[in-house]
Amino acid sequence: MTISYSPGWTASIREVVIGATAAEGGTRRISYRIGGESDLPCIGSGRKPLIAFEICDDPALWPDVIRSACTKLVDNPPAWAAYVDTTLQADLIRLNLTSTRRRNFDAYDAVSKTVIAVLQATSLPLIIEGSADADIDSEVFQRCGEAGEKEKLVLGTAEAARYRSVAAAAIAYGHSVIAQSPIDVNLAKQLNILLREAGVPDDRILIDPYTGALGYGFEYTYSTMERIRFAALKGDGDLAMPMICAPSDTLTIKEVRAAVHSHETAVSWEVATAVAAALAGATILVVRHPGSLAPLRTAIDSLWKEEVA
Amino acid sequence: MPIVTFLPGFRKVEVSSSDSLMTAAQKAGLSINAVCGGVGKCGKCVMFHKSGRIRFDADRFKEFFTQEERDAGAILSCESYPEDDCQIMVPERTLIQNQQILMNVVGQAVEFNPSIRKYYVQVKPPTLEMPASDLYRLLDAIFHAGGPNSKQVYVPLEILRRIPSILRDSGWRVTATIARLPAGYRMIEIEKGDTSTRLYGVAVDLGTTTIVAFLRDLTTGQVIGVGSSYNKQISCGEDILSRVNYSKRKGLSRLQDLAVESINNAITMAANNAGVDRDDICEVVVAGNTIMTHMLLAIDPSYMIEEPYVPVVRRSLTASAGRIGLSIKPEGGIFLFPAVSDFIGGDIVADIVASGMAESPEISLMIDIGTNFEVVLGNNEWMFACAGAAGPALEGGEVLFGMRANPGAIEKVSIDSATLDLKYQTINGKKPVGICGSGLIDVLAELLRACVIDRTGRINTTLGHPRIREGEYFPEFVLAWKDETGIGKDIVVTENDIKNLIMSKASTLAACIILMNQAGITREDIKTLYFAGGFGNYINKDNAITVGLIPEVPVDRIINLGNGAAEGANIALINRKKRKFLDEIASLMGYIELNAEPTFMDEYTRGTFLPHTDLTLFPMVEKSLELCRLRVEGK
Repeated sequence: MTISYSPGWTASIREVVIGATAAEGGTRRISYRIGGESDLPCIGSGRKPLIAFEICDDPALWPDVIRSACTKLVDNPPAWAAYVDTTLQADLIRLNLTSTRRRNFDAYDAVSKTVIAVLQATSLPLIIEGSADADIDSEVFQRCGEAGEKEKLVLGTAEAARYRSVAAAAIAYGHSVIAQSPIDVNLAKQLNILLREAGVPDDRILIDPYTGALGYGFEYTYSTMERIRFAALKGDGDLAMPMICAPSDTLTIKEVRAAVHSHETAVSWEVATAVAAALAGATILVVRHPGSLAPLRTAIDSLWKEEVA
Repeated sequence: MPIVTFLPGFRKVEVSSSDSLMTAAQKAGLSINAVCGGVGKCGKCVMFHKSGRIRFDADRFKEFFTQEERDAGAILSCESYPEDDCQIMVPERTLIQNQQILMNVVGQAVEFNPSIRKYYVQVKPPTLEMPASDLYRLLDAIFHAGGPNSKQVYVPLEILRRIPSILRDSGWRVTATIARLPAGYRMIEIEKGDTSTRLYGVAVDLGTTTIVAFLRDLTTGQVIGVGSSYNKQISCGEDILSRVNYSKRKGLSRLQDLAVESINNAITMAANNAGVDRDDICEVVVAGNTIMTHMLLAIDPSYMIEEPYVPVVRRSLTASAGRIGLSIKPEGGIFLFPAVSDFIGGDIVADIVASGMAESPEISLMIDIGTNFEVVLGNNEWMFACAGAAGPALEGGEVLFGMRANPGAIEKVSIDSATLDLKYQTINGKKPVGICGSGLIDVLAELLRACVIDRTGRINTTLGHPRIREGEYFPEFVLAWKDETGIGKDIVVTENDIKNLIMSKASTLAACIILMNQAGITREDIKTLYFAGGFGNYINKDNAITVGLIPEVPVDRIINLGNGAAEGANIALINRKKRKFLDEIASLMGYIELNAEPTFMDEYTRGTFLPHTDLTLFPMVEKSLELCRLRVEGK
C-alpha cells in the first residue's frame, strides 16, 4: 500500500548557524547549521534535532533533583561543562547565569569570567541564558556578548516586554537570540517582528514557544508549535525560525518532587516531553538531568532513521 | 416672577427663579446647544450676563472659560438662575443651528411619502335624495381628495362620536387626519375648517446618554425644529446594564417614565423652537438600542442581560402616543425601529438605512465605536453584524489624562519624528486639561512613526529625550508641559494608557476581521467604510488605519455617517415605505456572537500589535512605517 502525501508546502525553515570553528573565526570544534526543514518533523530530509545540556552558575535556583544528580559539579561550571562535553556527549551546552537572578545583583565581572571559563572548558557551541530583569539586562548581555565574541553564541531570552538589551548584544557581537513567547503563535510572530525591527537578522532568531510539562499544559505548546510550523511552511517568514524547547518545568512538578525514585521519574518525564517537542518541530532540545541524555538520544535516533535523514 | 430678556433679539420671557436660564431661553423659543443635556458638563450653553441679578457659581465652572470670557460675564445657562429681571446675551455659537446638525448627517435624497396625511374636504350635506350616512359622505369626500378607498379606513369610536357635530358646526368643511397602518388606514383626527398645513412629525434618536428630536413639517418634509435632552434615566444608572439592574430591583415604570419624559423634553424644545403646537404632532419615529426600546415600551428587559441574551421582541413596533405617554396628539402614533439582537438595536438599523449600504450591491463595512462597538458588514443581499466591549479607553477612560471630548481636551496631535517637537489642538482652543479619543489615536500613530514606541506599544526609554521618561509606575511620554496646560501639571501618555488603547482597538479590529472572514471577503472588497456616531467626525482616518483600529482601506472610501441613528429615524419618518425595509434589514442580518466565536481570542491577540500581527493586511501602512523607520534610523 502506498500513501500519497503532497502537503503543498511552499517554504522552508530558515537556517541558523550556531558556534564558530577556527575556520569560521571562533574556537569551537564544531558548528551547527540548524533549520532548513521543508516539511514536518520525521518527514523528508529534515535534520535530526540537537540535544543541549543545561548547566548553571548558581545552583541555589536549580531543581533539587538535578543538584543531587550532578553532585559537586554544580558548584563548578567549567568542570560541569567539561563533563557534559566529554562524558555525557551532548551536542550543545546551555549556560544559565542563574547568579543574575539574585536580588541586587551587580557582579558583572563574574559573568564575563564564567562565560570565558566555560568557553575554555568545552569546545562545544554555547547557548547563554542571561538575566531576566530589565534593569540589569543591558549590562549582563553586553558582558556575555563581549566574552563570547566571534563564537556565534545563542543568547537568551528575549521576551516582548524586554528584548532590546539581548538584541543589542546579539547585533553587536554576532550572536543569535532566543525569542520566547507564552505559548501563542501570534505573540511568537509579534516578537520576531519586534526583534527584526530592532535590527536582529531573521537568520539569527530561534523561537522558544515555551515548553509546558507533559500533563501540565504541554498540549498547548504542541498545538502552538504545530501552528508555527504550518505557518512557516506555508510561507510566513516571520515564523520560519527553528524552535528550541526546554522542558525544564518537568523537573519541579509535584510527581517528581514526591516520587520515591525521583531520578527515574524526572528522567522519564523530561525525555517524554522532549520527544513530544521534537515531534512538534523543535530543533534544539534542552535537558538538565544527566540521565536524560542517553534515552533521549536513542529515541531521536530511532525516529530520525538514517534513510530519511 | 423675574422677566428675562435675551439679547440680541430682545426676546422676553417670564419664568420662576427656579428655572435655569437655559429653560428660560427654551421657553423664549431659542434652541440652546446642550450636549450634556443641561447638567453643567459640556460647556456648550455659554451665555453672557449683562444686567440684573442671577445665581451662578462662577468658581465651580471657571474651567469652561478663558479669563477674557469670565470678565465679559460668561455663564453656563444650565447652571444659572434669574433672581430678578435680567438681560442675558446669547452668542451665536450657543444656538443650535439647524444647518449645523444637518451637516453632520449624510445627505441622502429620500422620497417624500409620510405615513400620515391630512385631507381638507368639503363634505356634501345630506339630502332626502342622497341620504347616505355622515361617515360615508366624509370618507367619499376624502377619497375624491386623493385619499384612500373608504372601505380601507378604520374610524375609531371616539372620532365617530365627534363627526356629526363637527361636520355641521364647520359648515361641512373639515380636515381629517389619516394614518397608514400596516393593515390599512386609521382616522386619527377630525377638525373644523382647514388645518391641512399643520401636520408635523418627530424623528427621535433615543440614546443612552442623549436624546435628539428632529421636528419635521409633514406637508413639505422640511426640518423646522431641533431639540435635545439628556436621558434622565442617568439618575438610575450611567450605563445601560446598571439601568436594567435598577429595573430588576425597583421596577420598570420609573425607567419608562424617565425615557418618556426625556423624549417629551426634546420634543417640547423642538416644538417651541419652531413655534408649533405639540397637539399638531401626529407621529413620532424612534430609533434606539434594543434595551432602550424595550424600556420605552415598558417591556421587561431583565432577560436580555443574561445568557443567552435574547430580546423579547425584535420586529418594529407601533403604538398610540397616548398609551406611551408622549405629549403629542394622543391618537398620534409612535413607530419604533426593529432590532437584530440584544446588542444590535434599532440605532444600528437606522445607521444602516442612513448609509444606504443595504441598497447597494457593493460591500460596505460600518463601525460604531464607543465604550461598546457595533460592526456591520454586507450589501443588499447579505449582512453580518457583531458587537462587543471596546473598553473605555477611546472615550478617555482608563487613561491617566483621558477625558471625553469636552473643552480643553487635546483632540489632534502631530509629532516631528526627528525632534519629537509636538503640536496639538484642543477643543475650543483652551489650554489643555486632558486628551480625548481622537487625540489618543493621533498620539499612538505619531509615536509609532517616530519609533518612540514599538509595535506592542512599549516606549523605547533608551532614546534620551526629555519628553520620554520613567513615570511613577510606567514609562511615559510628555504631551504638554506644566506651564502650557490648564491643570498645572504635565499631561502625559503612559505605556499603560497605550496598552489599554491597544486592547480597545484590537477588539474592534478583531470584530471587523471576523466578519470579513465569515463573509469570505478581503479588505479590497470593501468599497465603503462608514464611521457611525460622533467619534468618526473627529478621528484622523489615516491614523486610525496606521494603528489598526480599522482595516486598511483607501482613505477616500471612509465616510463619516455622523448621527446615523437620527438620520435613519428621519428617513423612516418622511418615507413610510422605508419602514417595511427596516424589518427586512433586521431579519436579513446574521448576528455573530463573539462570545461563542472560537477565533475571537486569536484574532484579538493578532490585533494587539500596531497595526496588526499580519502586516500583509496593512501594506500601505507597512510601506510608510518602513520609510519612517529608515528616516529615524538615518539621523
